[in-house]
Amino acid sequence: MSEIISQSALRALAAEWIAGGKSVAGPARVKPDLVLYRVLRSGDDLLLEGFQRPSNSIKDFLFPKAEKLYGYKIRGNSIELIENDSPEPAQVIIAARPCDAAALPILDHVFNWDFHDEFYNRRRAATTVVTLACSAHDENCFCTSVGLDPGSDRGSDAILFALGNGQYEVRCATEKGHALFDGKTEKSERTGKAITGPEKRFDAQAVRAFVTTHFEDPFWNEHALTCIGCGTCAFSCPACHCFDIVDAGSAAGNARVKTWDSCQFSTFTAHASGHNPRPAQPARQRQRILHKFAIYPEKFGEILCTGCGNCTRNCPVGLGVLSVATEINHG
Amino acid sequence: MSAAPQFEPKIVAYVCNWCTYLGADLAGTARLEYPPNVRIIRLPCTGRIDFNLIIKALEVGADGVLVSGCHPGDCHYTAGNYHARRRWILFRELLDTLGIDLRRIEFAWISAAEGRKWQQVVTEFTEQTRKLGPYKELYATGAFPDVPAPETASPGAKSFAAESELREVCHKLLSEGTVKVVIGYGARGPVVVTRPEDADRLVWNNRCFSNLTAYLKRKEIKALGKAAVIVKPCDEKSLVELEKEAQFERKDAHVIGMACEGVGQPKCAHCTARTPRFVDVTLGVAAGPEPQSSPSPNRLAALMAMPPVERMAFWSDEFNRCVKCYACRQVCPMCYCERCIVDKNRPMSIDPAPSTKGNFAWHIARAFHLAGRCVGCGECSRACPAGIDLALLNISLHIAAQKNFGYEAGMDPKAEPVIGSYTLHDTEAFIR
Repeated sequence: MSEIISQSALRALAAEWIAGGKSVAGPARVKPDLVLYRVLRSGDDLLLEGFQRPSNSIKDFLFPKAEKLYGYKIRGNSIELIENDSPEPAQVIIAARPCDAAALPILDHVFNWDFHDEFYNRRRAATTVVTLACSAHDENCFCTSVGLDPGSDRGSDAILFALGNGQYEVRCATEKGHALFDGKTEKSERTGKAITGPEKRFDAQAVRAFVTTHFEDPFWNEHALTCIGCGTCAFSCPACHCFDIVDAGSAAGNARVKTWDSCQFSTFTAHASGHNPRPAQPARQRQRILHKFAIYPEKFGEILCTGCGNCTRNCPVGLGVLSVATEINHG
Repeated sequence: MSAAPQFEPKIVAYVCNWCTYLGADLAGTARLEYPPNVRIIRLPCTGRIDFNLIIKALEVGADGVLVSGCHPGDCHYTAGNYHARRRWILFRELLDTLGIDLRRIEFAWISAAEGRKWQQVVTEFTEQTRKLGPYKELYATGAFPDVPAPETASPGAKSFAAESELREVCHKLLSEGTVKVVIGYGARGPVVVTRPEDADRLVWNNRCFSNLTAYLKRKEIKALGKAAVIVKPCDEKSLVELEKEAQFERKDAHVIGMACEGVGQPKCAHCTARTPRFVDVTLGVAAGPEPQSSPSPNRLAALMAMPPVERMAFWSDEFNRCVKCYACRQVCPMCYCERCIVDKNRPMSIDPAPSTKGNFAWHIARAFHLAGRCVGCGECSRACPAGIDLALLNISLHIAAQKNFGYEAGMDPKAEPVIGSYTLHDTEAFIR
């Protein structure tokens, strides 16, 4: 026996959540060739098929690109701090890709390791993730190379499997998932299945072995010299989590804001003295691979990459984890 | 019963120290009365008024901005006001494209002797702003009609005939030691080739989008020695501008020009060059004769047909997606500053957060720093992961430079750059 829901019922359910005051985010078409995870205005905005995956990731809703930590006002010699402790509204992320949802446990480690990040955790507690198992993969997908698969429910509260004819099987993995779908589904005999994953594109262990032993190596100059040093890879990655803290506003005070940062920026490691320990792009590309395949795994036991392929898909010059890791494997 | 308090506009006036400031002073000593709504900020010269300051005033709550300096010919520093005039002519076009209400910004020439003109300008501008009401439309969201999206490149690679010749030429250049490195296109994107045997990695097909001249500025590439760079005729234009700005010398690079069959990007729809003009060697066959003119894209026409409020709503919607990854800056061959204004924090003139304010500030600064310099390669739009049509801003400035100064970036190596030069006859119908 399985639980199923029709596409129209799913849209109606999303509309119901919105009407009930929840913030509902999911894939939506922004331009003819651009699909992004966005806050949906209606159930009809939700895009369920006809694209590989959104160009951004669901981290936007848990670790937003700009988060106000607190406000402040400066008057003469006194500073008044204004706490930002308003509770986050409940949110549902619907039709997330498994490679997005799987990044949440990765982020959980980082934001709860030596410091409990109240902003992330507050949002995380208020969020329910409903994943849609993949029904296609493209030449940039590589989840199977980092230990995931297109039907993985890691990080999901519920997962949907397309059955065809606008029907989806619903499997709830957590209490939060049940709270959304109990009583909203129908019984059926049909069960769904995700596609088999993309063929394994590289060996993650070999990549780890290479990066930990080839810190100074001509490889980096040969294969990463064309990196232009933008933050596209990090910002469209579901698992990249580096941030900066900036003062936004006038000198008289406004807000202290947490913003995304990227190890590909030249300012990321720039010292006040002017020295930069990672002087050029090859060293910065090495850092990104090193962090994902060696540093994070050493600390938390898993790879800091879910194989979504966004970094390669979005890179203006065709780099990204997939390109570099395959070069390491074949080079 | 008390009447509702009348709206009192806040006006910020940026004035030159030598003329308008003294004009305002004279108005005071001559007991000429004018509205107290104006807050005067004195600067050494109108040539020193950064365009960001005009935006900043509106951001912090001004309802109108007045910019005033010496009459043409009267500048204390000889030509500061002429430079300022050029900048304002172009800057107004950018503001208009963004949907900022131009009635909120007034430009004037007021000399030290013109206390009465100061009185008159301030009085009239205050009244006009009072009638317009508080400026609430800055960065406002709202509904707007559809703007056509730029055409996209068709998927799949189709090799062009000159590919094998290109590999041979590059192999020879490297093996004979003419160059140490070739910056070219590979299967996935740009590649840097240093060994002759790797010349086979080079491709020439309809996926060769990048403007490779952007790599010439990078110190890690310079460190490899003399480079050969592969350019499409549209990319070649950036070399013309970079040379004018003393960022590039022909002798430092071997330029391989590809007669272009088109890569199918939106930029090809507005192509003005199919055959390279200044290169060391040309390979391939162009798709046809040189196009005579480049029509402005229909998406710009659609945008400019909207009223300013809707244009602003369009850009608010676009910029709200900006994540400040700076791909637009990094792919741009003309963005070569060692330290970008947005990375400076003492003082911090652009809000670094990807907020509405911070995103507008960044995109205004980016677009205007490229005024009259952008060669229209369209890489900024292509690189943007949020699908923001950034090239539209550059195109509007490109058209403005053509219309007002007959200047087209990248075409004539002898033409003086638009910003940094001036004539005595630049149009100024909007300056009082």
